[in-house]
Amino acid sequence: MGRYILRRSMQAIPLLFLISIAMFALIHALPGGPEAVLFNPRLSAAGRAALRARFGLDDPLPIQYLKWITSALQGNFGYSFATNEAVSSILARRFPATLELFSIALVEALIIAVAVGVISALRQYSLTDYVLTTLAYFGIAMPIFIFGLFAQDIFGIWLHWLPTSGTTTFGVTFNAFNAAWDHFNHLILPTSVLAITFIATWSRYMRASMIEVKRQDYIRTARAKGVSSSSLVFRHALRNAVIPLITVVAIDFGAVAGGATITEGVFAWPGMGQLFLQSLDSRDYPVLLSILLLSAVFVVAFNLIADILYGVMDPRIHYS
Amino acid sequence: MKFGEKEGIVDISDQQAGAINRAPMEDEFEPMLELTPALVQKRRSQGRIIFDRFMRNRTAVAGAAVLIFMFVFCFLGPYITGHNQPDTINVSNVSQTLAGPSLQFPLGTDDVGRDELARAMAGGQVSLLIGLTSMLVAIGVGVGIGSIAGYYGGIVDNLLMRLTDVVLSVPLYLLLFVLSASFIDHTPRSVIILIAVLVWPAASRLVRGEFLALREREYVLAARTSGARNFRLMFRHILPNAAGPIIVNATILVGNNIILESVLSYFGFGIQPPYASWGNMISDGQGYFSVNPWLVFVPGLLIFFTVLSFNLVGDGLRDALDPRMTER
Repeated sequence: MGRYILRRSMQAIPLLFLISIAMFALIHALPGGPEAVLFNPRLSAAGRAALRARFGLDDPLPIQYLKWITSALQGNFGYSFATNEAVSSILARRFPATLELFSIALVEALIIAVAVGVISALRQYSLTDYVLTTLAYFGIAMPIFIFGLFAQDIFGIWLHWLPTSGTTTFGVTFNAFNAAWDHFNHLILPTSVLAITFIATWSRYMRASMIEVKRQDYIRTARAKGVSSSSLVFRHALRNAVIPLITVVAIDFGAVAGGATITEGVFAWPGMGQLFLQSLDSRDYPVLLSILLLSAVFVVAFNLIADILYGVMDPRIHYS
Repeated sequence: MKFGEKEGIVDISDQQAGAINRAPMEDEFEPMLELTPALVQKRRSQGRIIFDRFMRNRTAVAGAAVLIFMFVFCFLGPYITGHNQPDTINVSNVSQTLAGPSLQFPLGTDDVGRDELARAMAGGQVSLLIGLTSMLVAIGVGVGIGSIAGYYGGIVDNLLMRLTDVVLSVPLYLLLFVLSASFIDHTPRSVIILIAVLVWPAASRLVRGEFLALREREYVLAARTSGARNFRLMFRHILPNAAGPIIVNATILVGNNIILESVLSYFGFGIQPPYASWGNMISDGQGYFSVNPWLVFVPGLLIFFTVLSFNLVGDGLRDALDPRMTER
């Protein structure tokens, strides 16, 4: 097992390098690079040359890449074109909001998806099952931003139940409890919207895998032994049924990240997704490049974790 | 008689499976006996079998019906209803903009007084065309490269796998936004190319997987033994057998691509005026929600039902094309 983890981690490293090369090349191939964004068009030729030298733009691309990747590996992702601030400190400031949105939505999605999948599977072909299946189809077909807009319009603008953007209400002084309550209210819509698409897809996987497990001999044996049905579901069936879901969740990590970007855009959530969209407008390439790379690192890491967890949770899987 | 079935062309296996699964009731045996001679006489083609099986799946048929309606609505609707002026400003005075539904404008007017129904139809043409053509390009390239990678392996396969690894490791939306913000001129054509560029690797990986599995089959060996060349093996023998998953994937891809287009257009990186698309109609209407909610709900629901229907049809095709699925 230890050897397997090591080998899989080693495989991830060349992939990450490949991704970094591809993203670097992509960003540098974009028209309107730093010169078009940063340099004053009325700059003299000498001034232009000085700035080019300062930004290292005279080096050939492979050299620029090597310089960038070595400093990136040391934690220096360059400086924002827009604010001249270190990208790493911008990211550090934006990261907590994204982490909060992301992790709450993930937990929400997992709990509900597992519950829905189990209920559907236990009452296969019942009315409940059909209703949940239909809702899942709706959830899969609904683009996340439309969900977000409809939720904002209905719960925010029509009903005035929940705030539609940001993390806190401006211009009001709160005591600690009210501030927490206000923040909680701001969390409801974005996390639910982000969670819903994944509840829809994951509950389908959960249902299929639970139905598969339900038919297994060991479940029948347990039932014959007189195991109570709640213990049968939670201790015997669920444990095995949830294994395939882990892979799906880890593979969907990139999709959740993309969804979080869109959710942040719709709900003006001040995280990395919103930063990404803002940086696109200002063509802030160092920031864009860092976010692309960072998200890829997370995706690759989660795929790795999924592989490892798969082995931990299912001792029948042996790695050579 | 179930929906969509014609007399005398009932799948034998379905009937038997149905009869075995259900508790036998007396009156059920008679029609089976009656059908038997007809069953022996009537042989159905493969396509007919698949079609019949698809038609028996009610949700898939409903999805197909909605799709047909959508295409008629968007492409023939302007001629049938006469609402064919999506860009004309129909009001003389600001107070008449953002009007609710009326006889003259069944879906109301937008913020500058354009006919919302005409815009919904014109935008639908763009959205549907983008979904379809980007699917065709992506599947075309995917089949071409995926079949070579799966059949020959080697360097093409290696390159393809590394490329898909990279593309699948970066969140799709981020890549889509970066590329569209910088590269394209926001016309339908460039949005089609952009979406195709980002989704073909996944399609080709699917084709590659099918080819990898099928190339070792005995019938391929048999064809090779009787002298079939590589090209013939790939496209006459393997590809038809890989067609099922590819068709299903293609159908669902259309819906996905429509979502991608709408997300792009909503954030201002996709289709831009003068073209209307469902995505940019939503973003235009968003600011006026409290005055005229139709401007958001109409294009939003059109996207929703279109994507839902493509998914339902895709699922129906998956069941219909799978020879092991006889009973639903």
